[in-house]
Amino acid sequence: MDAEAARLGLSQGLSLPDARARFPALVAVEAEPLEEARLLERLCDWCSRFTPLAGLDGRDGLMLDISGVAHLFDGEAALIEDCRARLAAQGFTVAIGAAGNPRAAWALARFSGVKIAPEPLDDKAFARLFYDLPLAALSLDETTQADMARAGLRRIGDIALRPRAPITARFGPVPVARLDALKGLERSSIAPRFPPPDFCAERRFASPIQTAEAIEASLRKLADDLVVLLERQAKGARRVELALYRVDGHVRRIPVGASRPLNEARAIARLFAERLASPHEDAIDAGYGVDLMRLACLAAEPLAPSQAELERAHEAERAHALAGLLDRLSARLGARAVTRRELIDAHLPEQAEAAAPATLGRARTHSESGHCERSPDQVRREAIQEYVGRPTTPGSPRCSAPRDDGLNGAPARPLRLFTRPEPIEALAEVPDGPPLRFRWRRVLHNVAAIEGPERIAAPWWRGAAMPTRDYFRAEDTEGRRFWLYREGLIGRETLHAKWFVHGLFG
Amino acid sequence: MSPGGGAEALARLRRAVAEIEAEAGAPRERPARRLPFSRAFDSALGGGLADDGLHEIAPAQPQDGAAAMAFALALAARFLSLRPASALLIGEGFADQEWGALYGPGLIAHGLPLNRLVFVRAPDAALAFWAIEEALKCGAPAAVVGEIWNLKTYSLAASRRLLLAARKGRVPALLILASAYGQAERLSSAADTRFEIAALPSLRSQAAADLDLPGPFACGARLVKARLSRAGPEAPLRAFNLGHVISLEWRSENLTFNDMTFKDMGLDDEAISLPLAAASGDRPRAAARLR
Repeated sequence: MDAEAARLGLSQGLSLPDARARFPALVAVEAEPLEEARLLERLCDWCSRFTPLAGLDGRDGLMLDISGVAHLFDGEAALIEDCRARLAAQGFTVAIGAAGNPRAAWALARFSGVKIAPEPLDDKAFARLFYDLPLAALSLDETTQADMARAGLRRIGDIALRPRAPITARFGPVPVARLDALKGLERSSIAPRFPPPDFCAERRFASPIQTAEAIEASLRKLADDLVVLLERQAKGARRVELALYRVDGHVRRIPVGASRPLNEARAIARLFAERLASPHEDAIDAGYGVDLMRLACLAAEPLAPSQAELERAHEAERAHALAGLLDRLSARLGARAVTRRELIDAHLPEQAEAAAPATLGRARTHSESGHCERSPDQVRREAIQEYVGRPTTPGSPRCSAPRDDGLNGAPARPLRLFTRPEPIEALAEVPDGPPLRFRWRRVLHNVAAIEGPERIAAPWWRGAAMPTRDYFRAEDTEGRRFWLYREGLIGRETLHAKWFVHGLFG
Repeated sequence: MSPGGGAEALARLRRAVAEIEAEAGAPRERPARRLPFSRAFDSALGGGLADDGLHEIAPAQPQDGAAAMAFALALAARFLSLRPASALLIGEGFADQEWGALYGPGLIAHGLPLNRLVFVRAPDAALAFWAIEEALKCGAPAAVVGEIWNLKTYSLAASRRLLLAARKGRVPALLILASAYGQAERLSSAADTRFEIAALPSLRSQAAADLDLPGPFACGARLVKARLSRAGPEAPLRAFNLGHVISLEWRSENLTFNDMTFKDMGLDDEAISLPLAAASGDRPRAAARLR
């Protein structure tokens, strides 16, 4: 419903045919709640230019925590005017209220002509501001409101001036509690859409900037500002986000991560340059211009304590260089493309490892591994023993299979694993025996040596339903080694065995 | 106290060294460290693979890709044992789907420390080359293994860039030319060495029942190219025929290559650079494809 319709006396809840009957020229547009919600979120992002604490309020409102920021805009009145003018330029009409607590601000914005509540709010001022507002300003549900109306209670003053006990007894505890909240007697907070950053630097432009060079130059200056803030607390940035506020209300956020705390402006600016050069990232589209840039440090960590010994400084320099390299690679290729992996104690082979972005930085890097009790060499030997050997007992899970890594020291797991096992046509002497030859990718392989089966069943203790697999390590006459499996126990789970190649050995 | 006092001290010392050098002239460049890996090849390479060079590895046939990768990873495992740093494994993203992704437990079984590996997946060959070059230039990794399928952009100039980056960072680059099967001799690039790798039947052990049990990774390696200009004056080069296939078996538990050729022929350690493969006809397990 727009203002025009309201002027003609239409109201929400009126059915469309009724409205049409009154005004045949009525233009009806179907409501799109999802689009509206998205628009509201976008507006909320845009509003974070005024304060980092901006949150959604219901379906049609925004809540900004402006405590401590109003003076940056020459006071609350000027802030409201600025906000209203900028939104009007984007084609939005808004009702704004400011008060000492969220509920009072909400009530003022929606139901009052006075937009700013004086602070501190004494009883007299409160009475003047709020007593005349309708009970809807307490955002009570409709039945309570209707009940109260029937009892003759229509304005906030009606319940504020009456004893609390009877009202609580008759209408429940909510109205009185809301009244307290309105007075600011209750703690209330808003839920911001984005957590407030630890440090942030921003630049406003009197005339919007449009060129990539200008944005880059401002980014460098912002990085300088941010580093000054960080240095004051001897901290470095781990996660940094650049937000570009466009004149037309669009907000572009570009986050980057660093694997070690950064406190060099050049390094920070370079990360963004790499990120923007990456193929996954759209180039900056300045549109009609960017009028506010904010560089926020979302996570900061204390800088590593100084290391006395030169030897370790040298080693740290290496790790430093590696961290810088990984940051650059992740910025360009995406954090998910640069990973470290670790083993997981999982039963199924495809779940036995997990990848984590390398920029997250793991404790067990090489510089530390030397300090643990076991030597790295020893650790490696143990790890190899874990995976070298021949678990050949059928029916027993891999973890408890006896390992003799003596005889030929062949690896038990392949070097490459197919994300999706590839079906093959295999010929076996007996249905549940090892294959004699198989055809994979249209090439026939004659098996010359084979080892198995290693039976891996679905983790039934987790209720997984999956056919049992019998794995074989097969070597063909040419010397290529494959990790094959037969799916399903013949006779019990399946009638015809399906064969797959799951991996390739070296 | 300022953070990073050690680094400052280091920088101060470096400045002092630079001042001394300005007066006395630059020091001689450190010769490349060489990583011995196989008696048959080491002599031809002047002691082993240079730790600041570009080494290319090409499969002999389309299906030998896994063997080529295993050979490169074995060399990387040896380079990793030289320096306490991480190694980068860089590859094109689609290869994971097509040929299987590198598998952690399998890498451990192959002798690589999983916690010192960084996996990099590039969307295309151009970015993979960029990543390899960045990694080499930075000098931090102990080795960089690159697997490239799309070799359209790999030229003399591109390989030269990689070579210079490897020299600058003193990091060995092991580049698997995955789609260049059978072309090892026809390629022209600036690489220091080029190997052609073929899969080879492993040293099997007898099983009680019918078929034998497969053994550890084995491959036939052929040194197709070796640039010797940097090998130094003591480069031996006792008539090593580049065309010969050497059969290698990888023992992941002690990170060594066993020379199956020697073992089978019963030769002792001294007989390094004799023409070996000519004698392969009498080997019991001679692969049909040995040339």
